Amino acid sequence: MNVGAALLTLVIFITVTILLVLLSRRLASGVEVGLRPLPSYLALKSQIGRAVENGRRVHFAVGRASLLGLASPTSLASLTALNSLARDGCASGVPPLVAVGEGSLLPAAQDSLRAGYRRADRADEFSLASVQFVAPESAPFAYAAGVTDLMVQQRVGSNLMLGRFGSELALMSEAAVRANTEQVIGSDDPLALSVGAAVTDHLIIGEELLAAHAYLEGRPSQVAAIQLQDMARLVIVILILLAALAGIIAG
Amino acid sequence: MTTLKQYVTLTVALAFGLLTLLGLLFVPALADLLLGWGTLLAALALLFGVLNLFFVHFRRLFAGNVYSTVLVLSMIVVFLLAVTDSLGLTTSGADGAFWWVQAPIEAALAALLAFFLLFAAVRLLQRRPDRWSLIFLLTLIVILLSQSPLPSAAASAVSWLANLLTVVFAGAGMRGLLIGVALGAVTIAVRLLIGMERPYNR
Repeated sequence: MNVGAALLTLVIFITVTILLVLLSRRLASGVEVGLRPLPSYLALKSQIGRAVENGRRVHFAVGRASLLGLASPTSLASLTALNSLARDGCASGVPPLVAVGEGSLLPAAQDSLRAGYRRADRADEFSLASVQFVAPESAPFAYAAGVTDLMVQQRVGSNLMLGRFGSELALMSEAAVRANTEQVIGSDDPLALSVGAAVTDHLIIGEELLAAHAYLEGRPSQVAAIQLQDMARLVIVILILLAALAGIIAG
Repeated sequence: MTTLKQYVTLTVALAFGLLTLLGLLFVPALADLLLGWGTLLAALALLFGVLNLFFVHFRRLFAGNVYSTVLVLSMIVVFLLAVTDSLGLTTSGADGAFWWVQAPIEAALAALLAFFLLFAAVRLLQRRPDRWSLIFLLTLIVILLSQSPLPSAAASAVSWLANLLTVVFAGAGMRGLLIGVALGAVTIAVRLLIGMERPYNR
């Protein structure tokens, strides 16, 4: 990376850091900020209650994005959602059944579930089989086949798929539709989202998935990040409009 | 309450995160070294993943699960083939299992996707018969038609419409989506780097 680009990156990093800290402090001091209601997150939160009612477990697929790769924020958002479900599920005796499609996600997902059991004072009930590695990142259809088998064998009551998926999502969601299972699907991949739009009303689209922290935990720093994203989006929209205008004027 | 263990993990994570960022910007050799360590850890995690897969299905095997039996036997056979390959007793045994078994099965599953998507679109119309579902189905039909052999007069019109839908509408939507994802990724990354987000301290 040349020095100019490196310095620009550093300036962006420092600016974002300062803005995040300032916005977080403002929110921590008691300033109220309302988040746009997202019904899919309400549906996500209600799944544990449904599992308690119908006695069937919740299946949670965290996707195939490595924690070392460029799509790691998507996996981190997915793990946040898992953390929230694990906390409620382990306390209610219906821990989610987790399927991972990439090696580095396995210990992270196991840690989420273990923490859920620990918080519920049920640490001894944690089983490594609750988090299953299904296939590596390079075998999306093997992952889809494994997840489908898991859903059918375990007779799950809800199917939650949040993370990086591709077109193989169609196979997994089809199995859930056949089993008449309620689904919540979230991804940052346009292909997976187009499949998700066809099979469920509970769709978490791109940046909404990356806002999982704010919607499920709601700490000031997490809500501040959403505010900062909105400000940056506004700047980008203005820049795009100015560029388009300049292009039109220049002929 | 923050424990000593949490302080240690936070310090290690922050130090390595910031060192990797500075390495990527100014000292590529340092970044390569740290990312190499990360790759090694990821490889170890993959090995644990394979062991997890084996033991989970090995346990199910005794419950009479046919799929698990096939999976466990397949894993053992491929592992033995890899061993005999490395000893020189067989040539390309593990590769052969991949090319002759796994690749055709994956290709067959991929071929089924078009049907699943079509069924999904029809089901969408049944479940939610509104204008958005209709647009979804019409777009799907136009794109499928654009890939089909048609009379030349119809082909050029369908191709123009498909191009308009994919390049202008879908392209614009996708760029908006990617900009949103990029902004979300940047804020998550910065929060991790300054310790505001600590997924390792649950």
